[in-house]
Order: sequence, then structure tokens, then C-alpha cells
Amino acid sequence: MNLLANKLIINYPYFAAVILFMIGALTVLTRSNLFKKLLGINIMESAIFLLFVAGGNIRGGASPILDNTHADAVYINPLPSALMLTGIVVSVSVTAFALALIIRLYKSYGTTDARQIALMRDEVTRK
Amino acid sequence: MTDSFTANLPVYVIIAPLFVAIVLPTFARLKRLVQGLVLLVGVLGVAGTGYLAYMVLSKEGFPMIYSMGGWPAPWGIELVVGNLGAFFLLVVSGVSLPVALFSRDNLTVEVGGKERVARFYVFYLLLVGALSGMALTHDLFNVYVLVEVATLSCCALVSSRKHPRAAEAAFNYLILATLGSALVMGGIGFIYMITGHLNMGFASQEINRIWQHNPHVVWLAFSFMLVGFGVKSALFPLHIWLPDAHSTAPSPASAILSGLAVKGYMICLLKVLYNVFGHSLMQEFAVHRIMVLAGTIAILAGSISAMTQDDLKRRLAFSTVAQVGYIILGFGIVNTKGLAGTLFYLASHAVIKSLLFLSAGSIIAVTGKKKVSELAGIGRKMPITMATFTIASLSLIGIPLFSGFIGKWHLLVGSMEAGNFLPTAVIIIGSVLCAAYLLPVIRVAYFESAPQEDWKDPGFSQKLALIVLAAATVILGVVPGPFLELATRAATDLLMR
Amino acid sequence: MKDFILKRVVVIILPFLCVYGFYVILHGHVSPGGSFAGGIILGLSIIAYSTIFGIEKGKAKIPEKVLVWTESYGTLWYGLMGMVGIVKGFPFLANKLAGIDVGVPGALSSGGLISLIGIGVGIRVASTMVTLFFTMMEEEP
Repeated sequence: MNLLANKLIINYPYFAAVILFMIGALTVLTRSNLFKKLLGINIMESAIFLLFVAGGNIRGGASPILDNTHADAVYINPLPSALMLTGIVVSVSVTAFALALIIRLYKSYGTTDARQIALMRDEVTRK
Repeated sequence: MTDSFTANLPVYVIIAPLFVAIVLPTFARLKRLVQGLVLLVGVLGVAGTGYLAYMVLSKEGFPMIYSMGGWPAPWGIELVVGNLGAFFLLVVSGVSLPVALFSRDNLTVEVGGKERVARFYVFYLLLVGALSGMALTHDLFNVYVLVEVATLSCCALVSSRKHPRAAEAAFNYLILATLGSALVMGGIGFIYMITGHLNMGFASQEINRIWQHNPHVVWLAFSFMLVGFGVKSALFPLHIWLPDAHSTAPSPASAILSGLAVKGYMICLLKVLYNVFGHSLMQEFAVHRIMVLAGTIAILAGSISAMTQDDLKRRLAFSTVAQVGYIILGFGIVNTKGLAGTLFYLASHAVIKSLLFLSAGSIIAVTGKKKVSELAGIGRKMPITMATFTIASLSLIGIPLFSGFIGKWHLLVGSMEAGNFLPTAVIIIGSVLCAAYLLPVIRVAYFESAPQEDWKDPGFSQKLALIVLAAATVILGVVPGPFLELATRAATDLLMR
Repeated sequence: MKDFILKRVVVIILPFLCVYGFYVILHGHVSPGGSFAGGIILGLSIIAYSTIFGIEKGKAKIPEKVLVWTESYGTLWYGLMGMVGIVKGFPFLANKLAGIDVGVPGALSSGGLISLIGIGVGIRVASTMVTLFFTMMEEEP
């Protein structure tokens, strides 16, 4: 028990990532408000970013910038952070696209609730 | 000069559609020019990939490895033109060209407005570029980026029709697909954490060396990858976005979504499973059994749901769910025959499903009828369209002399060789079910009396596209020769690691 | 918006926002930030202007046609920079390998093609941000 608690405390970024991912997934799957679904997606992606960046981190490591003053320092891995920049750009574009779709849906249905949209679907389509 | 051209051909194949997609919005008004450029890119793509496939087949120093920016493997991004890459490239370019040809005529009506046509083509070309990239890339993070580009352009294609249903379907697709790509990225993260490599070859060596030390992380990576790509390629319980998205999109978009986009994700899954984890690790973790089981359920459930649909496009969309089951099932049959059959089936399904969606689309565009039960007598009014539909249906069912048969036959032989009789039985039952949901359409179209309406076959370019695709499925069925050879070599490569 | 203070403040900080955006874009290869972040700052300056003075005035400053062109050709610029390697007989996106002077690390004129690529990406990101803002603010979807 003590050992497990120790592991959790030492690896807290991963633990946090798992909890964030679960919160995000739960929000996506259970909330019917479209904005909340989108928020859930964003939380979930942040969890994955955290997982990646934490994987490349070394506690007490130097920042990976070429510098001749401390050449023997332990540098943290810059690659996961660089990859996550790409991930953030992708996540921004997904968010923008989803927001545009929500605006379109709101204009045709007058609501941002997925359940009400499902109820109104037939009448609006028939028009 | 020619040497440098050949050496850079893999990059040209990927960036040509992307470049054209980038500059298309600047002359969106000139519809003729836009369509001409798209067709030109398609033709050049077919020529380039054909040349690459020819070189791969004649083995002139292949697999060809291309390092982006001149950075060698563990640091840089690699493109590998192996047998699998050349095979899928050929499928992508071969199917996307007829679809572009088909979309020339009535796209303006389908997307609702002249100014939206260029937007459709932008996303179409982005999708084609991303799929070509998926075929060649040998880097895990690159896979993620390409998957994301493909997903966004798929969503944009679905939403390109000016209809509230389309926006709704696109939103549901976007949410679930982003869930899937988050999972894929997580899986890549786990692989990177235990191996320290993103290059598939190096990651594979490392993961096979050290997997005993962290079996749980390998498990997590496996499951994240399976579920992530499962959502994107519409594996049965995760398929709920597909029927809406594929039936509300404009017909050329449904054709390319059902025919190619889904296949692209499955090629990525195949690469991750066999090139990164390797078949020995798959068997160690019994992943191949999971895939056979998932495929079985998908075939049965997809076919039965397809039978209950009266809307023609929805029926075809559910049929895609069932056919995805075949391919996933085939990925779990770990021998050369089975994998070669799966790859061949993947290619022939790409051709068949785009043909089915295109002919259904032209029927719907001409008659305005969407229900199967309303299609009485279409076969006599629109002979060419319905004939191509029939050819595609027979091929999908697996009648000899059509391409679907060759794929199913090899799959069947492969599963018997593997000594697993569940897939053998399911493949045969699936064919019967497939006949049960496609033959009624043909019966209604040919053997019921036609109403007194002036329905005609569509215009020349649409007919040409339909005939090209129908000829492709017949030719692949009669002389599968070089194509099957390429698939077999790709399967051998996959099993070598 | 009719608020006098807001208008004055925006007019005063607008040039600095633009300059700062260009600064971040141009120093992308030697310092934190980069063309994406710089492009967003640049785009935000135009977005700030259009929120305070109204969309019409913003569109008058940056017509949509210009946005479409910068968006397309900013990205194409990236591709063309990649083609430099091919033209010189090296792989796509080759930089130092293709004989381009990459300078001393840390200096502003270093990085070879990377700094040039950054300019294209920054302009593209800025125009995309503005386009997104305009699209979302418009009535017609």
C-alpha cells in the first residue's frame, strides 16, 4: 500500500494526466451540450500533452538550449515539447472548426443541446 | 536530371496535391481552372504512383528510403517506398482520379453553391495528400499529423453540404474522431516513452528488446492504438458516427470517405501493429485474436444493420461497417496468404465502395429518390449506372471473376492455414448476408415496372468515371497478377520483422 | 464600440502589437516563441482593431481577398523553401546540407532556410486567425 502511494506521489504528472483524460472522456460522452463536449475534447488533449511533456522531463535538468557555460549538464528532452507544439496547433484547428460547426447548428436549430437537436431533427429537415 | 526526379518522386506524390490545395482558394472563381487542376493532379498522381509501383515490382533498389531534409533515420523523418507503400499509393491515386472526374458535373448542386466547389476540392486534395503520406511515412508522429489532417478534411467534406443534418453529422464525427486521435497520440506517447524512438524501424527493434520489462505499458500502447484507430476506421461498436457522416455527405465525398479515408486509417493501424510491435509481440499479447473477434462481430452486426436500412446510402454506409470487419479480421490472420488477401480485399473494397456510392449518388441526383423501395425500374431507365452498380454488388458479394472474390478467397485460404475456423465460417456467412442486402436493390431496379418518368443516364464524365471503376474491379478480378504480387510481397515484408 | 478610452488605447498599442508580432516571428529560430506564436500576436492586433472599431473597418484595412492570398502563398512559401533543397540536388527541406549558410547559433541571421520559412508560417497563421475571426463574427455561416 505504502509502495503504491509512493509510486503515485513520485509519478504525479502521469497520475494527473490519467485523471484529466478521464474527466475529458466522461465530459465528451455524457454531456449533451455541444460546447461542453468540445471542452471535454480539449481537456482530453491537454491530458495527452501533459503525458508527453512529463515523459520528456528530467527533474533538475537544464533547459535544452545550446550554451557553452555548462556543457556537462543533464538536458531535458526537448523533442516531446516540440511535438506537443504540433499537437496544440492541431487542437486549436479542431476547436476552431468545431466552433464554426456549432455556430452553424445553432443557426439552423436554435439550440446547442445535442438531445434537443436530435428531437428537432425531423421537423427541421423536412422544411 | 531524371535521376533526381525519380529520387524525389515520393515527395512529389505527397506534396503535389497539398500544394494545389493550398493555392486553390486564390482562384476559386474560375471553376473550370479549379476542376482542370484537380484532374491534372489526379492524372499526374496516377502516373507517378504507377511508375513507383513499377519500380518496386521490378526491384530497382527498393525499398527506397527517403530522408526528409537529408537527416538520417533516428533523427529525421523517413519516407519508405516499400511494397506496402506502393500498393496503397496505387489504390489512393487510382480511386481518387475517377472520383474527381465524377465530381465535375453536378458538384455545384450537391454542395449548394458555386463558391463552395473550390472549398470542396481544397479538402479533397488535402485528404488525398494526407492519404498518400500515410502510405509512405515511416515515422510515428508523422502518422499522427497525417491522421489529423485527414480527419479534419473528412469532417470538412462531410459538412460541405449546406444542410443542418450535414453539420450535425460532421460535428459528431469530429468529436469522436478527435477522441480517437487523442488515443492514437497517447499510444504513440507510450511507445516513445519506453523506446525513445519515433522512427518505426528503431522503435520496433527497441520494443522487441525491452518489452518484458514493461509489459503493462506495451499493453496500454496496444489498446490505445486499437481503440484509437478503431474509432477512426469505424470498427463495429465504435462505428456510430459513420452511417450519418457517410450518408449525408455529397456523393463524391461519400465515395472517397468510404472508399479511401477509412482504409488510410487501417493502413496506419497495420503499420503500427506489424512494423512497430511486430507479429511475435502481437501473438504474445493475443492481439490477433482480439482483432479476429472484433472483425467477426463487425461483419455480422454491420450486415444485419445494413439489411434493415431502406435508405440506399445508409445501407451502403452500414455495408462499409461490415467490410471494415473483414479487413480487421484479416489483420488478425498472421500468415502471408491471409494478409495478402486482406490487402487485396482492402484495395478492391476501395474500388467497389466508391463505385457503389458514385452510382447511388447519380441515381439519387437524377431521380431524387433515396429509398431502395422507390427505385423500381431504374435498371431500364439508367442502364449504365445500374449495370455498374450491379457489377460492384456482385464483386462485393464475392462472385468469381470479380475482384472481391480474389481477396475473399485468399483470406479464406489464409484463415484455414492458420487453423482458425471461426473466420472461415464468418467470411462465408458474411458473403451470404452481403447478398441479402445488395441483391434486393438489383431486383427492385430490374424486375419491377418502371414509372413514366424521363430519367436518363448522367453526363459523359460521370459515366466515364463509373465505367473506369467498374472496369477496374473486373480487370482486378480476371487478371489480378501484378497487383496480387505486390500485395503478397507487402504481406511477406510485414511478417518479416 | 463607442468607448473613447478603448479606442485611444487600441490606437496607441496597435503599432507596438504589430512590431512585437514581427519581432517574435523573426526571432523564432533563436528564442522561445516562434512563427506560430508571433503570427497569433500579429493576427490579434488586427482582431483587436476590428473588435473596437467594428468589423467593417477591420475588413477595409485587410480585405478578404488579401487574406486569402496571404494564407495561400504564405503556406506555399514553406513548400518553395523546401524545394530549394531539391533544386540544389538534395532531399526535400534540406538546409545546411544544401550548402546554405546557417551562420552562428544564436545570431539573428542564422538558421538558413528556417528563418525564411518562419516568415511564411507567421504570415499564414496571422491571416488564418483573422479569417477565422471574420468568419465567426459574420451572420451568414
